[in-house]
Amino acid sequence: MNGRVDCADAERLAGTIAVSEATDAERDAYRAHLAGCGRCLRDLGGERDIERVMGTVAQARDAERWQPDLRALSRRSAPARAPVWAAALAAGIVIAVGIGLTEHQLRPTAATPSISAPEARALAALGTQTMPQREGRAESLAVGTAATTLNLRIDARGVPLQCTVAASSGNRAKDSAICRAAMRRRYSSP
Amino acid sequence: MEACHEAETTARAQARTEALVLEYQTKLARYLRRMVGDAETALDLTQEVFLSAYRMLSADPARELNAGWLYRAATNAGISFLRRKRILRILPLDRDVDGPPASLRTWSVDERSAASLDLQAALARLAPEQSAALLLTSYAGYSSAEAATILGTTPEAVRQRVCRAMRVLRGVMKEGIES
Repeated sequence: MNGRVDCADAERLAGTIAVSEATDAERDAYRAHLAGCGRCLRDLGGERDIERVMGTVAQARDAERWQPDLRALSRRSAPARAPVWAAALAAGIVIAVGIGLTEHQLRPTAATPSISAPEARALAALGTQTMPQREGRAESLAVGTAATTLNLRIDARGVPLQCTVAASSGNRAKDSAICRAAMRRRYSSP
Repeated sequence: MEACHEAETTARAQARTEALVLEYQTKLARYLRRMVGDAETALDLTQEVFLSAYRMLSADPARELNAGWLYRAATNAGISFLRRKRILRILPLDRDVDGPPASLRTWSVDERSAASLDLQAALARLAPEQSAALLLTSYAGYSSAEAATILGTTPEAVRQRVCRAMRVLRGVMKEGIES
């Protein structure tokens, strides 16, 4: 590359460097121009700068994971004729879901199963739980003849949120011990 | 006899188009998605490209269609789309200059890298011809001479467009660092 390089030439050379087609002579000429031209240095950047910026494009290309499938697209966009059995199945699902929702809404909440104190202690020791778990549903533990009734709130993950004594056994220490035991446990899905 | 020949030509055109689809659909769709910034549009445009190829092969079975022809058709489709979009666009700017385009939100997590965001934000600021020059050389891997053939211009013009695109990308990256 002979002759003096002006700013227009420098821009052309920067483009050549950007597409990785610059010869050594062109790179030398570009460097020489930048050494005396602050504006081009600021606007275009040095060789390393150009290569770093262009490397961003290569990085974006390498990070690409999209695998389009035009044949699937054309199948999807083609007017599909839904088979009769599919319509019947869909109708059946809608009806079943409807019935399920209705039953769910009508079902009384907070069934309160009772177990004896020895059973409750055994359960606490074994780390098992047989109570129904559902968020917002209360459950009770009846202990022996002097029953303690608890309301235990459990979230969807099975973590107890709150324990309150609904009916005391008359022994506050026993009530709170049962409550603490109930709160320490995690309740798996039924 | 003529009907038989026609059916054979159609079948051959279909087979050749299918081979082209299998080989180039991913490259062309990715290229167009970068250019237009939207996956659905890119797929539509890619489909148009292959439809053109099919029509071409049906009309002239002896014709050779290579990657260059496909990229040229894709580039023209992308540039036309962007020009139409710019004419139709009133408010607000869809290809937002202040941040990554909204369409990028639908891209996979892998593609939401800093490099991907910078590139997409820069492409949104470029003229369609500059986007095409940058993507053909640095993304699709063509030389400036090959890109010039695809774009119907000179290698010199391609390098100049790449340089301007590079300056915008540099500015976007600088803004990203400062913010």
